[in-house]
Amino acid sequence: MAAMSFVRWWWGLLLAFALVALVRVFLPLPFANEIIIFSIYTMGCNYLLGRIGLISFGQPAYLAVGAYAAAFYLFYFGNNPYVGILIGIAAGFLVSLAIGPLFVRLRGDYFALVNLALSVIIFYLMQKVLAGITHGDNGLWFLTNLASTPVLDLSRPDQFFIFGFLVAFVIWAFFKYLDDSIFGACCLATKLNEDKVKFLGYSSFNIRLTAFVIANTTTALAGAMYAVYLGFVSPEITSPARAADPVVVTILGGVGTLYGPLVGSIVYTGMKDVLSKVFGNWELVIGFVLVFIMLAGEKGIWGSLQPLLEKMVLRVTGKTAERGGSGQ
Amino acid sequence: MISMQLLTSGVIFGLSLGSIFFLMTIGLSLCFGLMRIISLDQLLYYSVGAYITFSVSALLGNIWLGVLAGAIVAGASALVVERIVFRRIYDRDLPFTMITSFGVLIGGVGVIKYFWGLVPRPVGEPIVARVDILGTDIPVYRLVIVAIAALVYIGIWLFLNRTIIGKAIRAGTEDVEHVEGLGINVYRLFTITFVIAGALSGVAGGLYAPLIMVDPNMGLDVLAFVFMVVIIGGLGSIKGTLISSFLVGQVVSIGSLVYAPLAQMAPFAIMLLILLIKPTGLFGSQMLKR
Amino acid sequence: MTNTDDILTVSGLNVAYGESKALFDIAMDVRACQVVACVGRNGAGKSTLLKSIAGFLKPTSGTIISDGASLVGMSAFAVAGKGIKYIPQDKKVFSDLTVQENLELGSYASQDYDWAPVFDYFPKLKILIDRKAGHLSGGERQMLMIGRAILGGPKLLLVDEPTEGLAPSIVMHLRDVFKELAKKTALVVVEQNLPLVCAIADKVYALKEGRIMAELTGRASITPEACEQYL
Repeated sequence: MAAMSFVRWWWGLLLAFALVALVRVFLPLPFANEIIIFSIYTMGCNYLLGRIGLISFGQPAYLAVGAYAAAFYLFYFGNNPYVGILIGIAAGFLVSLAIGPLFVRLRGDYFALVNLALSVIIFYLMQKVLAGITHGDNGLWFLTNLASTPVLDLSRPDQFFIFGFLVAFVIWAFFKYLDDSIFGACCLATKLNEDKVKFLGYSSFNIRLTAFVIANTTTALAGAMYAVYLGFVSPEITSPARAADPVVVTILGGVGTLYGPLVGSIVYTGMKDVLSKVFGNWELVIGFVLVFIMLAGEKGIWGSLQPLLEKMVLRVTGKTAERGGSGQ
Repeated sequence: MISMQLLTSGVIFGLSLGSIFFLMTIGLSLCFGLMRIISLDQLLYYSVGAYITFSVSALLGNIWLGVLAGAIVAGASALVVERIVFRRIYDRDLPFTMITSFGVLIGGVGVIKYFWGLVPRPVGEPIVARVDILGTDIPVYRLVIVAIAALVYIGIWLFLNRTIIGKAIRAGTEDVEHVEGLGINVYRLFTITFVIAGALSGVAGGLYAPLIMVDPNMGLDVLAFVFMVVIIGGLGSIKGTLISSFLVGQVVSIGSLVYAPLAQMAPFAIMLLILLIKPTGLFGSQMLKR
Repeated sequence: MTNTDDILTVSGLNVAYGESKALFDIAMDVRACQVVACVGRNGAGKSTLLKSIAGFLKPTSGTIISDGASLVGMSAFAVAGKGIKYIPQDKKVFSDLTVQENLELGSYASQDYDWAPVFDYFPKLKILIDRKAGHLSGGERQMLMIGRAILGGPKLLLVDEPTEGLAPSIVMHLRDVFKELAKKTALVVVEQNLPLVCAIADKVYALKEGRIMAELTGRASITPEACEQYL
């Protein structure tokens, strides 16, 4: 029986990632790489909004933290991409640990706006204030700097994909584990009714802070991966125009669902690719799509599909449904 | 040391910047206070105001007509959005309305791009005259902006304190259900407030347009600053936004004289500081629920 | 059975907060100038009932009819516009506005600018007219809430726990006010104060856990003991 639940826990993840691998087979490599990194980026936002109920328009800030940390290392100090990524993660962790206690105390609306402000500030920092070391809008280029690494050569896009794929798999397993753990239950409970959680003896502040750090470290990881993949970082990744990206993808995919970010990124990147060739006005489309989704019930693509698929699986297998939420 | 001239111009520039912030944030404050929404799309009406000012003044040669037209079109856009989008979602929670308003803002940027294209356009200053204050050459236009903001403040004050609709709105910021229970159509109040906010944002955009170039992303560029002002002042408080608008205006302006790049970041630092002490801003209300 | 005298007829009313059911199959009727009381312990659903009638909550099923028109689905301000005014239990008035301005809002809504009746019932309000409502005591606020609501001559007042937390002298005053009001207006009063209820009510509904346990009519049968029985 233990074996059964082991399989059941893993089979959703395996299926999802098998599908992602399929994407790689049918679609160009840059697209696949972009999706992998983008979905990790979105996962942070998705988790904060879906599980804690905190909306952050400032995820680009942490993306930039991770990206620039990796970039500084790779441009100035060394050339091992793995180390660069680790540094990016560490930077993200430290920054969110430092900022978290102040931000997390705030009411939801202030939190969202403050994060937005943070991303603008980081933008200015990288673009103007620290232009000496960041080279401002020209960005930092270190693609040629990257060393070939053993096992998986990250300077090569196809091998990078394998790396990204594995990292994403681990990340997803981690978040699924979080969801199923007591911590996950606490998060959801805090979102639904903070006072009750406090009465139970949990500190909603600690819950929020932990979730904040986890989500933003994940985002920083995505930033570092971008840096390594592109071999180049510029302030553009955190420009005000890009603040929308993670939120839109989160909603598009289905906020609070486990696979939402994956579905969302595929659709978003695809749409962007296709539409910008046909129809230069990307904002028009994405704005209306977002409003439409919100008015239509805010479930997003995977968010609407998931319950339907679950029902289908129920009928086919005749088993009793698992606790909802992390589903497939 | 900064010379007297530089300081004077810095203060005046700060006042005019603060005036622009103030025009934008009154609407945001009211929308939050009454409807409990964070209307990110106000930045869209700001851009609309600026662009209409650009087009009308290019057509007719008169900026003031442009600003007037900008305000009207901005208000009309706000009306349309309120009817189609916000009317249906007032009862939803804050993240929901925030994301939706963000969608409107982004979509609106797209609409602007569609009609006016990507290239930034300049708008001619209506008054090139300069006046001498304390030995410094000050553009009269900047003073006019401050004067207009002052007039608007008085107008809003009179509206909220001397008209029955204004009093109903003030009552609504305390408790909407009680207002509704009296028999007052609160949805009409919402619409009125939203349109006023949109029109004021349009005026801000129109007035500011000659000082900057209009471009599709202009709303997004100032989004963070506007909201930093709102947070510092406290969501829902007009007095708060008045104070913080001018505070931030001065800081950015005089700060630029000292060290330009940091001046843009100073509001952020102030905001963090204030939030450390008062998590709801200077005059923000503690309660969130209606 | 519709009686042309009926100000309000409720039947089969079910109300829920999300998944959580609060009222089950409520039936009730109120005639013109009748004083109907709802009694029950905390959480019995009394406020829920009033809020549903007033239009602040949407029932899941059932009918609420007044003067031949269905109130279900009407927005709260429309219900108030029909002469059915709700006075909530929170003793909240618009603190930043003066007493005068509070009354002005009531007048604006009802288009009734004659404040003489209000001052007749509550002379104290005339004295406090320029005071900011936030500085009023609990009793004064309750008076203001009622005063505001009677502008426009409503046909039905839904009053939620008016005497809660008030001094006995004020409670007596309110008792007399309700008696006077009942000559022109029907009242549905939610109360925990049983002696008060029994002094003014023509009919009492006892609510328990969302259901009507009993309906008491006739002066004789309305006694605190009789009410207690059903709670």
